[in-house]
Amino acid sequence: MGEFVLRKDLAVSATGLIKNFGGKRVVDGVDIAVPKGAIYGVLGPNGAGKTTTLRMLLGIIEPDGGTRTLLGHDRPRDASDQVGYLPEERGLYPAMRAKEAIAFMGALRGLDLKTGRKRAVTLLEAAGLGHAVDTKIRKLSKGMAQLVQLLGSVVHQPDLLVLDEPFSGLDPVNQERLEALILAERDRGATVLFSTHVMAHAERLCDRLAIIAGGKRRFEGTVADARGMLPMRAHYVPVRDDAGIADHLPADARHDEHGWNFEVPDGGVEQALSRLIGAGHGIAGLSIERPGLHDAFVRIVGKAALEQAQ
Amino acid sequence: MSRLPRIVRQTLTIARRDFVATVFTPTFLLFLLSPVFTIGFGLIGGMGARSVTEGSNAKTRIVAIVAPAQQAAMRSADARLRTVFSRADQPPILLITTPTADPQAQARATFKGGKADDTTAALYGDLTKPTILYGGQGRADARYLGSLAEATLRTDPAKAAKLSTPTLTSIARATPTDSGHKQAAFIAVFGIFFLTLLLAGQAVGTMMEERSNKVVEVLAAAVPLEAVFFGKLLGMFGSAILFVAFWATLVSQIGGILPANYANAIGEIGPAVGVPMFYLLFFAYFAMAYLLLGAVFLGAGAQASTPRELQMLSLPITIVQVAMFGLALSASGSPDSARTRLVELFPLSSPYAMAAHAANKPDLWPHAAALGWQALWVVIAITVGARAFRRGVLQSGSGKIGWKGLFGRRKAIDISVS
Repeated sequence: MGEFVLRKDLAVSATGLIKNFGGKRVVDGVDIAVPKGAIYGVLGPNGAGKTTTLRMLLGIIEPDGGTRTLLGHDRPRDASDQVGYLPEERGLYPAMRAKEAIAFMGALRGLDLKTGRKRAVTLLEAAGLGHAVDTKIRKLSKGMAQLVQLLGSVVHQPDLLVLDEPFSGLDPVNQERLEALILAERDRGATVLFSTHVMAHAERLCDRLAIIAGGKRRFEGTVADARGMLPMRAHYVPVRDDAGIADHLPADARHDEHGWNFEVPDGGVEQALSRLIGAGHGIAGLSIERPGLHDAFVRIVGKAALEQAQ
Repeated sequence: MSRLPRIVRQTLTIARRDFVATVFTPTFLLFLLSPVFTIGFGLIGGMGARSVTEGSNAKTRIVAIVAPAQQAAMRSADARLRTVFSRADQPPILLITTPTADPQAQARATFKGGKADDTTAALYGDLTKPTILYGGQGRADARYLGSLAEATLRTDPAKAAKLSTPTLTSIARATPTDSGHKQAAFIAVFGIFFLTLLLAGQAVGTMMEERSNKVVEVLAAAVPLEAVFFGKLLGMFGSAILFVAFWATLVSQIGGILPANYANAIGEIGPAVGVPMFYLLFFAYFAMAYLLLGAVFLGAGAQASTPRELQMLSLPITIVQVAMFGLALSASGSPDSARTRLVELFPLSSPYAMAAHAANKPDLWPHAAALGWQALWVVIAITVGARAFRRGVLQSGSGKIGWKGLFGRRKAIDISVS
């Protein structure tokens, strides 16, 4: 995707968002551009400002600075009926039945209750919760209740789905269901914006992502762009491993029980391999890998933390 | 035995936490001073109730239609008998008149006075066998007239042996009495007080529900918080209407199943503006009191972040309500006083006092003005309450609110950060 995207092609755009709480700046000039139809991740460590950013984008709280548009509306509330939202702190009325809870959430977004109830049954059955249609929320497990709330955020078939830490508290089976649901929403044509600090989900799902740390946006791009920020890593297993081998490897090489790991130097690994073969260490195994999003995240966030500390 | 010190230590740890959590809160000060408030407002309420009773008694009378020759003896007997009653329990003023050609008609006519000259009981006929007519609430006064007839006869040494055997007859009035108006005023004030007391608890409780189930962010993301606030207020108002309708229907049927003399007593209670208009005004003032206090309480309830704080908040809320009740009640006993005008003007007590006004006074224009005035305060209360609600419900930090925050431009909201 090109760097310059027309505003009309963006589901969400924000420029220079600022938010202060009690004199402390928790969001500091964040820019976000979420293309329509994309799955967009907002990544960051705990306390990075992800939730505050999402709340500002949705108009739940007002920014102290900056501008934002949501589905083409300068006032996020004007787009309310086209938005689905799952907050970080899950909340449902315990005495409501699952079907009613979903229909209620749809009704808040302009869907009539009758249609809401019908869709709720379909959604619950599709999510494997057909048995819980008339079960009260208080009788559902935490994970099931969370799934019900998620279904409540999509029952009105929103154009934009905003999920704040949607995977937290879910077991692996439900995490997989949620991933499938997010992909299904994207396939339906919706834009999905979600925050997480679990890289595996972002890596599997996101078309684009932003990494926020210390209230600032530290990275914006695709998963590949993020991974590309780090050099490739080589894993080398010698035929003969003795004390002198380190002299022929790059300075950052580290030994583990399987062999040696190091960043691929600018000129490639060929020179180092020639030296190793020349010195009689041989090559029992060699693999070159692109670092994962996890490594890129740790690098970006770690750098940000270092900057803040300074 | 080594377990005992451990358990004691653990117990003290919990006790310390609970003590600190309770005492180091601003609302604890209110809790500490609660007996002062309770006694103070209890006194106000008591004074109000007393003024209603005294105000009612001051304008009622008992009538004795007796021959001129017995009038002096009756006056003297009345003066003597009254000494056995305490000031609060004194019978109404005695009016002695001379019989005309038809003393029965004369006695009945005394009950048709309507407003200021309320007759509770009237005696006519020979004192040895008098007939005593009494209104719905005048049975005790009729008995007093019976005793008075007896005492009058005993003042004549020649007739000392003769005992009076009165016949007591209950009669129904065409219009409510002045004291009936005051009783209607009391019922109106108490009714609105009771209903709002009942519902204020719900208003505060609903906030705790939102706190604990965390639905509020879902609501806040979908609809403006002002709409959430007003929706809650309306929802509770709906349940209040149901409550009122249920009890109003039940109470309205009571007259039909009571014995005649009790039914006559109820018949004497009535508002000055007339029953249909009174119902309308009662409902309007109840709505105003509910919306006004509901907005205040909902806004205040949103500031509590724990059930403990909520419990503490309930106290000042109840105190405010009792205060308004006491003020309005004291005003309803003296509808023409300057104090009553002040209570009618003060926004929080105005709905109570104006409901009492409708019971005491037939003029309607003050109600139009009062409803307009109260509507203005309802708008102010809802606006301020909604802002306090917005700050209170969505904050997870200090939650401190000040005048600037409530009335200033809505901008920053304390909210959890992640």
